[in-house]
Amino acid sequence: MAIRDDLKANLDVALAGSSVSVSSELPWTSAGEPLYIKNMKKVYLDEDNINKTELFSTLDNQDVVQTETSVTGYLAVDAKTQPTDIDTIVSNVLNSRLAITNQAVSECDMSTSTEADVLVYQFQFNFITV
Amino acid sequence: MANPINVSAGNEAVLVLADSAANANIDAGATTGLVVPYMQDVTINNSTGVFRWKTLDNTAENAVTTPSTNQLTLNVVVDSDSFFGDGLGGDSVKDAGIFGSSKAKTKVFFEVGFEGRDSGSKILKGSGYISGLAPTVNMDAPVWVTPVTIEVDGDYTEDTAS
Repeated sequence: MAIRDDLKANLDVALAGSSVSVSSELPWTSAGEPLYIKNMKKVYLDEDNINKTELFSTLDNQDVVQTETSVTGYLAVDAKTQPTDIDTIVSNVLNSRLAITNQAVSECDMSTSTEADVLVYQFQFNFITV
Repeated sequence: MANPINVSAGNEAVLVLADSAANANIDAGATTGLVVPYMQDVTINNSTGVFRWKTLDNTAENAVTTPSTNQLTLNVVVDSDSFFGDGLGGDSVKDAGIFGSSKAKTKVFFEVGFEGRDSGSKILKGSGYISGLAPTVNMDAPVWVTPVTIEVDGDYTEDTAS
């Protein structure tokens, strides 16, 4: 199961009853506008980006490989009138990284940007497993 | 013609450990000894000592070499069977593993293949004691790795696999 699926399943539960919901769609662009801008107050998760790198190279070619997976999430809200529970929502999204088990590294960086009157939260999830 | 030994194929640099010279047989198909897996590197040290003296009629020192200190040093990713032993009986080094053989101070016999295990491949043989284990792990590299030293008792013997 892709990490995106696990994150979405966790966010479905964590954000139930909040001001936002989770979309099962990818954040594709329609008519030059990303879906998360068009459909505000919906969390969109992009596909897994997977990178396999050698952790230890061995003489018998049984190299130890680590898998780095990154997933980007987006949430757009009205910059003028943000949801009253936005802090809880952001916290729950950040904490959803912990739902992905058996990872040596589970990180989530959050950044914001403003496009016109829309505030976009971008969540960068990074996971490393061996 | 120059003939460098390239080990990138993954089956060239081989180390076999066993409790007897016969069991340490590196030849292709031999399965008695412990073929050390996941070696990151292996170094064969053959370091002679040097005795120097000066004479009044010479402007430079004289020197002779003294007996060698021989060591095999390697770093390995810890494999459960090879480190703690497969526990299947048979060769005691394979049974007890690298850690067990170090702890029990068992004399181990080794064969190092420079060019793999095929007939005619260059090998070095010898015997000694396992030392210098220091398994370590951290969350940046969450796989156990350890250095291993084999303090060689006596000299190496050059041979070819048969």
